[in-house]
Amino acid sequence: MRHDTIERSVNLMMVLIILAVSIGGLVELIPLMYSSEANEPAEGIEVYSPIRLAGRDVYVREGCYNCHSQMVRPFRSETERYGPYTTAGETVYDRPFQFGSKRTGPDLARVGGRYSDAWQRLHLQNPRALVPESTMPTYAWLEDRPVDPELLTAKLETLQFLGDPYTDEQIASAAAEVEGVSEMDALIAYLQGLGTNRRNRR
Amino acid sequence: MPAFWHWFIAIGTVVFIIWCAWLISWSAKQGPQNVADEDLVGHKWDGDLEEWNNPAPKWWLYLYFITIIWGVGYLIAYPGLGAFEGALDWSQHNQYEAEMAAAAERYDPIYEDFAAMEFEELSRHPEANQLGASLYASYCTTCHGSDARGAAGYPNLTDDDWLWGDSEAQIVSTIANGRVAVMPALAPALGGDEGTANMVRYVRSLSGIEEADSGAASMQPMFVALCSACHMADGTGNPMLGAPNLTDDVWLYGSSSDAIMTALVHGRNGVMPAHGDLLGTNRSKILAAYVYNLSAAERQAD
Repeated sequence: MRHDTIERSVNLMMVLIILAVSIGGLVELIPLMYSSEANEPAEGIEVYSPIRLAGRDVYVREGCYNCHSQMVRPFRSETERYGPYTTAGETVYDRPFQFGSKRTGPDLARVGGRYSDAWQRLHLQNPRALVPESTMPTYAWLEDRPVDPELLTAKLETLQFLGDPYTDEQIASAAAEVEGVSEMDALIAYLQGLGTNRRNRR
Repeated sequence: MPAFWHWFIAIGTVVFIIWCAWLISWSAKQGPQNVADEDLVGHKWDGDLEEWNNPAPKWWLYLYFITIIWGVGYLIAYPGLGAFEGALDWSQHNQYEAEMAAAAERYDPIYEDFAAMEFEELSRHPEANQLGASLYASYCTTCHGSDARGAAGYPNLTDDDWLWGDSEAQIVSTIANGRVAVMPALAPALGGDEGTANMVRYVRSLSGIEEADSGAASMQPMFVALCSACHMADGTGNPMLGAPNLTDDVWLYGSSSDAIMTALVHGRNGVMPAHGDLLGTNRSKILAAYVYNLSAAERQAD
């Protein structure tokens, strides 16, 4: 068979290209789906509570990942500033994970508990009030938007269907839990829980 | 990961590399080396522009072979083939641990020496203060500001006014364990709007911002009853509870009537997050000494 034959047949060439490029995926990606390190929650990792799940979705919707990564890399310069490096087992309930690829702002993988709730609120309302040189946009309007209980219930049901260990009781009580909760409250609850499963280093 | 997948990765990778090597050497032998008419590729541009069907140049092929040799060497040296850990015994985790161990060996003695010093002396040590300044820049500026003058709700660290005390133990504890202030909402107990408004004026009169009118002055027994447990009967505060001195001109949330009204109606819960886990004992002390030294000028002026 000469390359002439392949080059003159679009279908044959397509099949061979797919075969060639899929080897990498087959070897690198598929085994990971069966890796316990990547599939099973790390110690201390639980499914997001309903209010934190709502906050996570605000985080994703507002594109926070455009400027904030959520992955502490295994270098001393990172762990000194942020805390222990991120492991795959810590992101099993993130759909999709928020590793991010760009840091205009700091990494947020372990921001939980680093600042008070009041700090987070004021900072979201006006970042310049606390960090004068900050280029972060303001998100004051999140305060005026209530969390949608119906949407949240539907999300929880979907995640349960996908295999996240939510109990029926948790889903049933979710709507009541977010009554009167603003998107700001939910986002702060989400941030305050980030990475708190691992902290002690010294 | 089950052993099957380790073998899947290892065999898949090796077979694919061998296949690549075969494909490249096979295709290198293809194609005519002569220039007969039927060996034109068959395209024709601009009426007479045609192309010979020649093999790829040798240097191009060698690049492929070099890539394959590099790949084989890499897979022998580093972990890549399933469970095989590589001849160099390298792993991301080991590299990180080695980096941390090297840093600990280099820097820990420096921190230990400084931490062993007496607190007052440490706070005046220029090199310790350089370390303290860089710790401050990493961990403290987001709330207390890069000039350490704070913001509304976040104490100014350059004055000699200390909410939670200025002893070594108190400052270190503030940094390492954090602080949570508990000013409760008192409006109902103060007797609604009028009582609260009077108490605001009484509190302002304590530091002489305004004269106590008759309504405000009458709040004094109420102040003793409700506020003195934390702020003391004379309003000078209590560092054990983080209760501010109300008789001075330092105001954590501002001295305006509105700010004081908010405190009385909604309470205040200032939080200093704990940093002990991040800093450890030695660095907490060095940072505490640096913070203590920030107000040295004002302390000497007093």
